[in-house]
Amino acid sequence: MTHLRLWRRLVPAALLTWYAVPALGAPADEPSALERRVKAAFLYKFAAYVTWPTPPASGSSFSIGVLGDDALAAELGRVVAGRTVEGRPVTVYRVSETDSLGNLHMLFVGRSRTSQLEAIAAAAREHSILTVSEAEGALSMGSVINFVLSSGKVRFEISLGAARKSGLALSSRLLGVALSVVDHRTNGGP
Amino acid sequence: MRGAKPFPPGLSRPAPLRVVVLASLVLAVSLSPGDARAQGVPGEDTRTASLADLTLEQLSSIVVTLVSRRDETLADAAASVFVITSEDIRRSGVTSLPEALRLAPNLQVAREDANRYAISARGFNSVLANKMLVMIDGRTVYSPLFSGVFWEAQDVLLEDVDRIEVVSGPGGTLWGINAVNGVIHVVTRSGADTHGGLAKGGIGTEDRIAAARYGARLGKADVRAYTQYREKENTERPDGTEVQDASDRIQAGFRADWTAASNVVTLQGDAYRGRIDQVISERELRGANVLGRWTRDLENGQKLRVQAYYDHTERDQPGAINEVLGTYDIELQHGFHPTARQNVVWGGGFRYQSDRVENLSPALAFRPASRILRVGNVFAQDDIAIREDLLLILGLKIEYNDYTEFEYLPSARVSWKPRENRLVWGAWSRAVRAPSRVDREFYVPADPPYAVLAGGPEFDSEVAYVYEIGYRDQITEAFTVSFTGFHHDYSELRSLEPSPAGPVFDNGVEGRVSGLETWAGYRTGQSWRVSAGFVYQDKELEVSPGVGAPDLGNDPNHWWIVRSSLTMLREFEFDAILRYVGSLPQPHVPSYTALDARLGWTLDRRAELSVRGRNLLDDHHAEWGAPAARPELERAVFAQVTLRI
Repeated sequence: MTHLRLWRRLVPAALLTWYAVPALGAPADEPSALERRVKAAFLYKFAAYVTWPTPPASGSSFSIGVLGDDALAAELGRVVAGRTVEGRPVTVYRVSETDSLGNLHMLFVGRSRTSQLEAIAAAAREHSILTVSEAEGALSMGSVINFVLSSGKVRFEISLGAARKSGLALSSRLLGVALSVVDHRTNGGP
Repeated sequence: MRGAKPFPPGLSRPAPLRVVVLASLVLAVSLSPGDARAQGVPGEDTRTASLADLTLEQLSSIVVTLVSRRDETLADAAASVFVITSEDIRRSGVTSLPEALRLAPNLQVAREDANRYAISARGFNSVLANKMLVMIDGRTVYSPLFSGVFWEAQDVLLEDVDRIEVVSGPGGTLWGINAVNGVIHVVTRSGADTHGGLAKGGIGTEDRIAAARYGARLGKADVRAYTQYREKENTERPDGTEVQDASDRIQAGFRADWTAASNVVTLQGDAYRGRIDQVISERELRGANVLGRWTRDLENGQKLRVQAYYDHTERDQPGAINEVLGTYDIELQHGFHPTARQNVVWGGGFRYQSDRVENLSPALAFRPASRILRVGNVFAQDDIAIREDLLLILGLKIEYNDYTEFEYLPSARVSWKPRENRLVWGAWSRAVRAPSRVDREFYVPADPPYAVLAGGPEFDSEVAYVYEIGYRDQITEAFTVSFTGFHHDYSELRSLEPSPAGPVFDNGVEGRVSGLETWAGYRTGQSWRVSAGFVYQDKELEVSPGVGAPDLGNDPNHWWIVRSSLTMLREFEFDAILRYVGSLPQPHVPSYTALDARLGWTLDRRAELSVRGRNLLDDHHAEWGAPAARPELERAVFAQVTLRI
């Protein structure tokens, strides 16, 4: 069979394929329960691989804020129950856009708040807060760690530039597990 | 010291501080399961906590979507599933897909010659094995000629394989007719996982391979393209004569993934051409496929998936047949939670195949030469959380095919999870193998009288009732085990019955296969892993006198495998695989023990050298075929360089 004939056969297939694929650009939406559980576990684990610029006060708790995903906040609450970060108890706060972020160490920004991510990340940077997001292109919006789904698994990408600007040091182990690490010095994309 | 600070400048509308302290609320939630369920997370209260005990790498490897058609981890699957990971493949040093399948203890893999393999689970193994469903990225690769897989026509770039899920036991309720004894699903990495360049070259005493891949982000898509070339030498019989089965093939393909909000769109395709020597002339294989898949997360945990593909294959077998097969396939699936305690997946699909055979020999013929085959199906499966730790899974698939029309494939599964990472499960299923062209439309010789065999115009589906019970446990973080006991009750198996016109295919054989599949893995730190698997199976066929039962498998009644993966000084890897396969009865193939070993050296993240020895324990052994004609596999060495840019 000639190549021409082969291609003639492929053309209807390509048509069929595209026919079945409606347009993109739908609004963001809920991750699955298991995806959320894995992300919650990751959030807790991240703390062990990050060094914050100011040493913790003895007796203070390690604070994680969750914005825009109450179900994940609940999962995370379950994860940290009875666990510690560097000997400190962990507290999970459900925060809104209008809250002060000053007492947080880590802030998770849910997919539903992606439109505000740039402003939130800028604010978080002022307080050396580790910003974790779950949206496409979030690293270019100033997020330090961004969850992505890859081959059906929850993976994450890291912006070294954003970490540096926030005064955070990330361990090489964390970088090693990351799906990708970008080091852009500006807020622009990789 | 961190204290209260002013409102961040980036956030508008300063408002009273109303941070909600959640910890106490959460504690209350976890003490009252009813509330947790109201959030749409049935029976999962205790599970999150132990995920936090996993390492970053382990968390990264949890599959949260896709192949099982439901969101679940391996630890939660109520079936006998073994997952071959990309790391398993790399560390074993295997160079082809069928060789990679040897890593699954629940599969029986026998190599016939340089290119052909017999691969099955739970018996009925044959080069023409017809009770397994095999998919590559959702594309079914079995041939409607005989309901089996031409393994020599299937190739993938192993570096791009994310995992191979091997299910032993029926998967018909989700995957349809043919998934009687097992399902093999090869899943390649997403485009986002294969950025950058890769080049590999390998040379050995039996084969040579060269491949290149490049992946990048193009606009909003993650794209990769690859090409792979391989050559194989003739195998030899014990007397030193060569079997003419040398081959070469080239394959190229691409994959593009777009992720936008809750949508993932994948478009991928491959094209290949291969030549295989045979006694007269050579066989030629050609093919191309293109597949599109769209998944979308909807509100309230709903999920929608649409997939369509076209697959074109050609086989030129001088002196036998030329075949041109075109397959159009579309499927749709939707998952939702009708109540907080239920998870439903339902959907349907349609496949249209046009199979055109040119009969070249007076010795055999497919008649009619050309055939249109249509398969349509609808299915639904409901996971019902009876209690927090108890799940009932009921499913039914109704499939239409042109030969036997409607077939019913129900299953019922129960899983009990006494604690995290421990699962006890049981299952009952009805599985069906629908007729293939060989069963109905194959004639030897090509013209009457059909003295050797004739397809049975009345040949009906083969049916299996399958009972399984399983136990899977992560006893410590480092130690995992899995046991599955199974009993398959077959009726209507293919027989060859005498008739006035000559022997005809019919459904005159009954049979039973019972057995145990077990495997375990142990890991010490990051540096050493050891795993082992053992399968025992007992097959009995009831064949009436005067009736033939050709090609109902040539199966060992037990086999085992032990693997060790050792990493030294971070950059040296030593892997060894020892496997034993019991003797095959008819034709007799002696039992054998084979040792494969690989030494790998990672120069830095960019370059890796490896040397692999295969069949190190003996000069040669056979795995398949009748004594006089069969080749024996020799000790082989293979060296490979892999570069990543």
